[in-house]
Amino acid sequence: MSEPRSLSSTSMIRLVAAREISARVRDKNFLISSAVILVLLIGTLGLQVAFSSGGEETRIGVVGDVGQLGPALEAQGQALEVDVEVVEFDDEAAGRAAVEAEEVDGVLVAEGDPELLVQQSAGGALQAVVQGAVAQLSIAEQLSAAGVGALDVPKVSVRALDPGAEQDQQRVVVAIIGVGVLYGLLILFGQFVAQGVVEEKSSRVVELLLATMRPWQLLAGKIVGLGLLGLAQIVVIAVVGVAGALAFDLVDIPGELIGTAVSVVLWFVLGYAFYAAIFAVAASLVSRQEDLAAVVMPTTLVLVVAFLVGIQASADPDGALAAITSYVPGLSPLVMPVRQAAGDVAVWEIALAVVLMLVAITGIVRVGGRIYAGALLRTGGRIKMREALRAERV
Amino acid sequence: MLEFDGLHKSFGSNRVLEGVGFAVAPGTMFGFCGSNGAGKTTTMRIAMGLVRPDAGEVRWQGSPLDLDARRRVGYMPEERGLYPKMKVGEQVAYFARLHGLDAAAATRAASVWVERLGLGERRGDPVEKLSLGNQQRVQLAAALVSRPEVLILDEPFSGLDPVGVDSLAEALLDQCRRGVPVVFSSHQLDLVERLCDSVGILARGRIVATGTVEELRRRETGRLLRVVVPDAAAHWAAGLPGVRIVSERAGDTLLELAADADDQAVLAAAVGTGRVTHFAWQQPSLVELFREAVAAPQEVAA
Repeated sequence: MSEPRSLSSTSMIRLVAAREISARVRDKNFLISSAVILVLLIGTLGLQVAFSSGGEETRIGVVGDVGQLGPALEAQGQALEVDVEVVEFDDEAAGRAAVEAEEVDGVLVAEGDPELLVQQSAGGALQAVVQGAVAQLSIAEQLSAAGVGALDVPKVSVRALDPGAEQDQQRVVVAIIGVGVLYGLLILFGQFVAQGVVEEKSSRVVELLLATMRPWQLLAGKIVGLGLLGLAQIVVIAVVGVAGALAFDLVDIPGELIGTAVSVVLWFVLGYAFYAAIFAVAASLVSRQEDLAAVVMPTTLVLVVAFLVGIQASADPDGALAAITSYVPGLSPLVMPVRQAAGDVAVWEIALAVVLMLVAITGIVRVGGRIYAGALLRTGGRIKMREALRAERV
Repeated sequence: MLEFDGLHKSFGSNRVLEGVGFAVAPGTMFGFCGSNGAGKTTTMRIAMGLVRPDAGEVRWQGSPLDLDARRRVGYMPEERGLYPKMKVGEQVAYFARLHGLDAAAATRAASVWVERLGLGERRGDPVEKLSLGNQQRVQLAAALVSRPEVLILDEPFSGLDPVGVDSLAEALLDQCRRGVPVVFSSHQLDLVERLCDSVGILARGRIVATGTVEELRRRETGRLLRVVVPDAAAHWAAGLPGVRIVSERAGDTLLELAADADDQAVLAAAVGTGRVTHFAWQQPSLVELFREAVAAPQEVAA
């Protein structure tokens, strides 16, 4: 048997992190929530595909003068936003057979009085297209019969005020989805961290753990372990989402989609470090799962506010509220990615937000680590933060 | 030597330890006794680095018991603690790794200990599914799995049935034979008397008596006198020179005599009250030694 050796901080943190991961990936709640998120994501993609391919199309058979009727039908179709495909038939019998075989939606017999053959009834678009085309041809014929030649109709030219509007719209949607995922995962993994801390306190196993390691090693291991899981999950979501959107051709801006996905993943890392540390410290103040909700509530509220501000920022990415909150640590992870996606952000602005966030995380880990250390071994009731700071052990 | 030296600790205005000190030789078992709230748990938690003493230190082989040294200590806290949802075998292996074993050695040691403590069939069950007695065995496995050099156990016998007590006692004696110093606290003094090479009694923040049970007894023997005088008035022995009344119940009197006190004078006084049905020196049990030590206002210990 090999003799016990002394352990470095890194190997201690690695041990704790590995335990967190292996405990969590076998936890039914985690597996179910992961599956639900993926199903939701794929469902959303499917819906998008269904909606975007929603244009009507119709096949119209023509017996008679296709040379004039064909272009007229197609022009009408365009005006009514219906894809029209014109098929020519030699006689009425061939057209009738095609209708019965459902090869075409209807056949226009344009010999003598025009007649539309359909299986049962003419759909709204079909009839409108045919009626419009026939009327137009007939007006043109009557005009030329009355001696009116080519009409001089002024053509309306279109000048777009905001040519990129649709792309902007897509950017905003992508940013909102990204921030929504970010928000959901921050809440989820924050809860995991908090529950884990309370579990160790309520089962008293923490006393055995702290006999072999320092509180900050335990805290770091827990946050790193769950963080890696969270990172893996958001990367999977980002990859599936982006790959799906590209595969189904849902976006016109693939480059920016990928950029937004990457920035959401990076902001997840910062946001998670920030919130996980706060959740862990808050959870260390109580000893029972029942008391947990009360202590994590304020932090959850901050997250909700950050999410709402992020949504607001998508509507007004260059407004004062979005600009200011995108620097505030804790709010920035949910606001800055929206601004990056939907508006114009200078590199220095992002750098400033990141630096402020890193400073805040350092401060929280320093102070929070002391509270955590002081509160871990005290059970019963809820501990005041000041008491925990005073009771700090190591 | 495992040495506890001059430990002081106050929680606010509550002075829990006021200079607790004792030593435990390798391969011996030390029973740690004291009333509830006497400070036994605080003393052990100081050794495990869970409470910081105001003064004093705990040393193992001459150097302070720091985080690295503590990895070679097996510890069982008073409040049992295990991950409720973690499987028995994995849990024991995890604690082995926290104490510095590598992955392969930890797995091997865990399966050996799980088997040895009769939990082989429950290896794959989460701890919360086990009975309390079996959870206690897992707790012991977690303390022993890393082949500790020192064992510190807070109330290891509490909550065990007689069979469980016997098998735990056997496991601890095994460790002693390996040369491990074992410190455990217990309220079951008959057990302490049976198992321990030496005993420490903690009261009012100090060790008031320490030594082998034999030594304590010898020190006390010849000094405790039981006199039964059914007709005597209360406090009949009060005022005899060098005599202190330890207890008195309907004439059944336990007296402590100072070294120079004259037992014949006591007998004379007893006869003076009427019938004397019993007059003999006491062979105190550890329970009595304990009561005596805990009640005495002055120090008894050497």
